[in-house]
Amino acid sequence: MDGVTAVPADDIVIRVRDLQFRYPGAARDALAGINLDVRRGEFVGVTGPSGAGKSTLCLCLKGLIPAGMFGGTISVAAQPVAPGSAYVESSALVFQNPETQIIGLTVAEDMAFGPENLRRDPAEIRAAIPRYLEQVRLSGYQDADTYRLSGGQKQRLAIADALILEPRILILDEPTSELDPIGKDEVFEVVERLRRERSITVVMVEHAAEQLAEMADRIIVLDDGALVDQGPPDELYRNSRLFHRPDAERAPQISEVLFQLVEAGLISADQFTAREETGIERLRSLLMASPSAVVQHV
Amino acid sequence: MSDGQAAIQISDLVFRYVPGGPEVLRGVNVRIEVGEFVALIGQNGAGKTTLAKHFNGLLKPSSGTVRVLGRDTRTAPVADLARTVGYVYQNPDHQIFAQRVRAEAAFGPRNLGLGPAEVDRRVDAALALVGLQDLADEFAFSLGRGQRQKLAVASVLAMEPPILVVDEPTTGLDQAGSRGILDLLSRWNADGRTIVAITHDMTLVAERVPRTIVVNDGRILADGATRQVLSDTALLRTAYLRPPQATRIAQRLSDLGVAADTLTVTELFTQVSRLLGAPGADTARHGASEANGRTV
Amino acid sequence: MPVGYSIYVDRPSYVHHQLDPRTKLAALGAIFVLALSFNHPAVLGALVLLVLLVGRLAQVGWRSMAPFLAGSVWFLVLGIVIWPLYVQGGPDLFTVAGQTITLNGLLFGLAMGLRVALMVTAAGVWMMTTSPQKLTVGLLQLGLPYKAGVAMTAAIRFVPLLNAERATIAEAQQARALDLRRGNPFARAMKSVAIIGPLFIRAIDVAQGLALAMDARGFAARDSRTSIVELHLTRTDRVIMYSLLGASILAVVLRLFGIGLITRNYL
Repeated sequence: MDGVTAVPADDIVIRVRDLQFRYPGAARDALAGINLDVRRGEFVGVTGPSGAGKSTLCLCLKGLIPAGMFGGTISVAAQPVAPGSAYVESSALVFQNPETQIIGLTVAEDMAFGPENLRRDPAEIRAAIPRYLEQVRLSGYQDADTYRLSGGQKQRLAIADALILEPRILILDEPTSELDPIGKDEVFEVVERLRRERSITVVMVEHAAEQLAEMADRIIVLDDGALVDQGPPDELYRNSRLFHRPDAERAPQISEVLFQLVEAGLISADQFTAREETGIERLRSLLMASPSAVVQHV
Repeated sequence: MSDGQAAIQISDLVFRYVPGGPEVLRGVNVRIEVGEFVALIGQNGAGKTTLAKHFNGLLKPSSGTVRVLGRDTRTAPVADLARTVGYVYQNPDHQIFAQRVRAEAAFGPRNLGLGPAEVDRRVDAALALVGLQDLADEFAFSLGRGQRQKLAVASVLAMEPPILVVDEPTTGLDQAGSRGILDLLSRWNADGRTIVAITHDMTLVAERVPRTIVVNDGRILADGATRQVLSDTALLRTAYLRPPQATRIAQRLSDLGVAADTLTVTELFTQVSRLLGAPGADTARHGASEANGRTV
Repeated sequence: MPVGYSIYVDRPSYVHHQLDPRTKLAALGAIFVLALSFNHPAVLGALVLLVLLVGRLAQVGWRSMAPFLAGSVWFLVLGIVIWPLYVQGGPDLFTVAGQTITLNGLLFGLAMGLRVALMVTAAGVWMMTTSPQKLTVGLLQLGLPYKAGVAMTAAIRFVPLLNAERATIAEAQQARALDLRRGNPFARAMKSVAIIGPLFIRAIDVAQGLALAMDARGFAARDSRTSIVELHLTRTDRVIMYSLLGASILAVVLRLFGIGLITRNYL
């Protein structure tokens, strides 16, 4: 099973072939032969249990390949990426922990860190800061002390720190895991806006199945270092081997209900969806059309 | 209503971090009976952690009283209250120091002044409960995040406190890890222990926890059966929370015969399949929310 | 005092924003040279007043400067009590336990207290008027390697975080019945391992996470960095720095000639 698609070559921003990686002293591969193509502007979700290799994959796509045994090829925006490669500018990575990504004492200082490292012109950096703050809904926060920010604000700042580098690909590794519900909503809202504007290719690792299903064009599932399934949410979450069991990965609850209804023969398979609004509409139609339905006049 | 001593009894609790400063808790009244399993939900900064830290005396009231099994926490030192109320922190790395698993789990019981035989007995029992008995001689830091979380829980369980407070037990864990911890807590609760879980995970609360307290802006916004609390969308919204997706779906279908206080996928499926005319689908409420089952 | 990174408090003053951090650094250095050159209380007292005046010009409140002066009172008292036993000169004043206390002795003791007050208050005012960000850039322009500059900023940035971690760890271990109040000092020190251990590990975790985040944003991808903080030495800066240099040299010369001193025998 792989994530390769038959699409013109210059439309592919990430091409991974037979990617293998093993950490030093580890008993098994962290990544055991991954094949993946990501198209320009695509939003790819990544899910799977802990230890599946999701974070390792993110590091590799950013060009931060850890020490260890590496095999296969990676190409990001047509540049090859391998151990010892020069810094990869075309992708940017946002990590899980809001605290350790913030380096500057003020928001402006933190956003300037990346471009300063790449020797961008100071006047251009100063002009870019408010632009990207607006994109993450932190307008006016330039001079705020970073330690005063909430978790959600810090993660949005981390996203702005990545966007100001003007990457072609934004990689997010479980950006909301450590946030409270408000923080999670704030971050998903920012990411959703990026998706809507289609300005950037996004690869996002997340356990929040419901949000992932709403945003992703395609979701890939990693387990034990291998890519075990992939597809648009409405197709992927029908996989009974990977989902819909107590010990399986979480699937959006709407997909679980519809899956069980399909399995019970009560609705046809084409009614299946993993998205909330669509699922509600379909259930409403089905219930209204059903002779046993009880319509309460509220 | 029950007579007898409550596990935790809080009356008119007001708390300020600095005298004359803003009230972080503004007049909280809560009574938790022995053997209950309660979820404490709310946004960060709403006061739920501040409230929970009063249970084991880490924070003392500015006014009002907090009684744990009848004992006023104002006059009891934290190290003493640790016998009665175990508190598991969200990040296991705030507790674990570079030792082997067994020694880590023994830290609490040793601090309680127990003899070596008793300490060993408790450590073995606690490690077995969390499933880490085979890793007892490993270095604590060689364990993965999920296992370290279990070790942190085991270290507190080894003190055998009748009341347990767990802060965000499932954050950072995948599905298997979350279920593991929740199964553990359910088993512990089934043995008659009182558990208070601070959490953001609505789905888990809906499935496992019978009573929910919503904290917002230093006050208790709601306190009652999970079914009532989590299906009150308007109330949750004022606390910047949302019900689980299953409940949201049910509420959008409530005019078509689905109960607005549906909590889980199974309940939703059962009702929808009945409404679609499935034969025999209304014979049993099997598999309804384990903790929040309703009678048909 | 903010619980954050430093005691820098932003104010719209000339000293804060128009003076280059290198100038301010030079001023601090000059004060230290002057403080060590003279040991007459009148001279040192005048310098303390000068520092307070500069502080007020920079809109630093009396309340902010007071703690530094207050902290020096102890040294003042100590100085007046102990130094007269060593320094003799001028008219005798009285005798205590067989030791003669002279005027010069008292004055010297007073001077020593004032010296501490001067250096501490100058350092305080300096910290309150110099932003760490600009200071780092200033040091970089003086030749500090850029990696050291980033290390400095990162260290400052993580002070509040590690402080919070320490507090959380202390709570978590207290909740496991760790009692730090009981036991002799040695036992209590041993118990502190339960706090220092996790704190150490957390600090390393934070450092590793930070290093990864920095690598992800191109740290050390080029030989040097640009900076959005651009410093220029103005004419005023240069004038001030030359004056400071002049004052420092003059102070050393005056000292060699024995002017502004109570006694030549002690620093």
